[in-house]
Amino acid sequence: MLAGEQAIPERPSLLQRMMRANGPLRVRLNIGLLLLIVLLGLLAPLLPLHDPVRPNPLNRFKAPSLEHPFGTDGNGMDVLSRTIHAIRTDFALAISSVALGIVVGAPLGALSGYFGGRLDSVITRITEVFQGFPQILFGMAVLAAAGNTMVNLVLILAFYNVPVYSKMVRSVTLPLREADFVQAARVAGNSPLSVVFRHVLPNTLVPVFSQLPLSCAYAAQMIAGLSFIGLGVAIPTPEWGSMIQLGANQLVFGKWWASIFPGLALFISVWLLNNVSDLFGSLVVRRG
Amino acid sequence: MLDSMREWGFFLLRRFGFFLIALFGVSVITFTVTHKIGNPVYLLVGTRYNQEMLDNIRREIGLDRPLHEQYLRYAGNLLQGNLGISRFSYNPVLEDIGRRLPATLELSSWALAMGVLWAVPAGILAALRPQGRMARLADLAARTGVSMPGFWLGLLLIFVFFAELHWFPAPLGRIARSIGPPQYVTGWYSIDTLLAGDREAFFSSVSHLILPALTLAITTSPSTLQITRKRMQEVLQSDYIRSARAFGLPGNKVYRYALRNTLGPVITMIAMTYGYLLSGTVLVEVVFTWPGLGLYAVDAMNHSDYEPIMGVVLLSSGFYLLVYLASDIFNALFDPRVRTEL
Repeated sequence: MLAGEQAIPERPSLLQRMMRANGPLRVRLNIGLLLLIVLLGLLAPLLPLHDPVRPNPLNRFKAPSLEHPFGTDGNGMDVLSRTIHAIRTDFALAISSVALGIVVGAPLGALSGYFGGRLDSVITRITEVFQGFPQILFGMAVLAAAGNTMVNLVLILAFYNVPVYSKMVRSVTLPLREADFVQAARVAGNSPLSVVFRHVLPNTLVPVFSQLPLSCAYAAQMIAGLSFIGLGVAIPTPEWGSMIQLGANQLVFGKWWASIFPGLALFISVWLLNNVSDLFGSLVVRRG
Repeated sequence: MLDSMREWGFFLLRRFGFFLIALFGVSVITFTVTHKIGNPVYLLVGTRYNQEMLDNIRREIGLDRPLHEQYLRYAGNLLQGNLGISRFSYNPVLEDIGRRLPATLELSSWALAMGVLWAVPAGILAALRPQGRMARLADLAARTGVSMPGFWLGLLLIFVFFAELHWFPAPLGRIARSIGPPQYVTGWYSIDTLLAGDREAFFSSVSHLILPALTLAITTSPSTLQITRKRMQEVLQSDYIRSARAFGLPGNKVYRYALRNTLGPVITMIAMTYGYLLSGTVLVEVVFTWPGLGLYAVDAMNHSDYEPIMGVVLLSSGFYLLVYLASDIFNALFDPRVRTEL
């Protein structure tokens, strides 16, 4: 080692930085609680819960008790069991719609950022139009016209996510065009497409992953919102939005549990996802 | 003088051009839904039909023509204000929308006013003392508002303030049924009742407005708060504010300069929130049975009638783009740099 040279500390891994940034306790708490919710959803069938879809006409709108800690809904189904099983539905739909949006949007953004020119300006314009698009209304119209199914619901939400990710990946790609490793890849004789997909695209993934929880939070809110007006997920499939809807008309008579608990679960999930996304975001900036 | 006029001319031309392109994009999307995904023939034949009738109607409304011709016909209809006919009210969609627009405008304007009134001052206070208690409180409120599903928050407020405390009337429409709507002037009950000089009706309409407007204010104002706070913090750390302080300018004068430079993005965000609100009220309108555009669209959906929904989609995207355009022009009035931006 030369005189005066300092040992370069090893760069901490993303996970290590994740645990450190912004006060470790808060980060661990947010990520831990989120994982707990996911775990709860995954293990739902194994937990000692009532059958989430078995109606019981004799047991309608029963207040919370030891037997039914969250009470029962208008069909006599157990609200606790349905709230926990709904984690599966809502998270699965949200994640699959966002993932589909990324799979289509990220390559589009990388291509438009890398090649620029006319393709670039067309994609940018389309993204801008979408910023002001009335998404819930549009979702309603498409589901009314194309059929009210869960697959269509996922497709629409994915459709909304495409411009989000193409715009983001494009903005990360622009400065990468002249980066040393990209030029090296070009000089080494890679075809333009292989430069984009094997060298540029993988390096845009960090901001994509910091955006991911935020998009999932938004998608979950959309799914619940659309199900609330009877679109996408229908009763008896456990889903927070349709559960809130089922309990809504009894709420004014003081029977709050059938709507409040699923809404609380949605609220907490979205809150945690938003926080985690913020924390990821601050990590990306710090790395900057 | 001449230069600045030219600058303005090009600026307005660019912005208006973008507005038209965006409108075109929206109309292509709505055309795709109404003509390609959905099939308008079934809207017209009713419940009893045979193949021959289907073919006749297809020819009559031009579905056998090439695609671009169909689009031109559709766009021509739109330009004449023909948005189709609602299948459940049998009225032209434009007429239905005109009747329900004031309800939604009234609700979203109240919500916007309530949100801006707390979010902008809170954002400024939070920027002045980033570690203070107010900043923490504002941060918590913004996080809560953003994560709260609006329709659920509405139900929560109904449960607490109507079902339990009886402070507000039942969530059924815009005014007590025993009072009935005031004479039509603006379509805003909170204004029309005042014009009619009817105190009781005015209080009834306001008490019906508060909960839904509050719901929307809570869920849509966080973005205004965040942008006010962020922008104000940036401005306060900028060189010219530091120089102003170094020259010994009194504090309130410094803040006035800072505030002025904070305004641009805040105005844009407020405009975007307003544009969003016009369609963002859908679920809250359902919860409070507020007879506006959102409830109209949901009713249409329950009748598998997508032309009214597309009408509302067109109107609210047009409104959004218009508000966005207005905020751009407004910003350009205050900030000459904006005029030369793309």
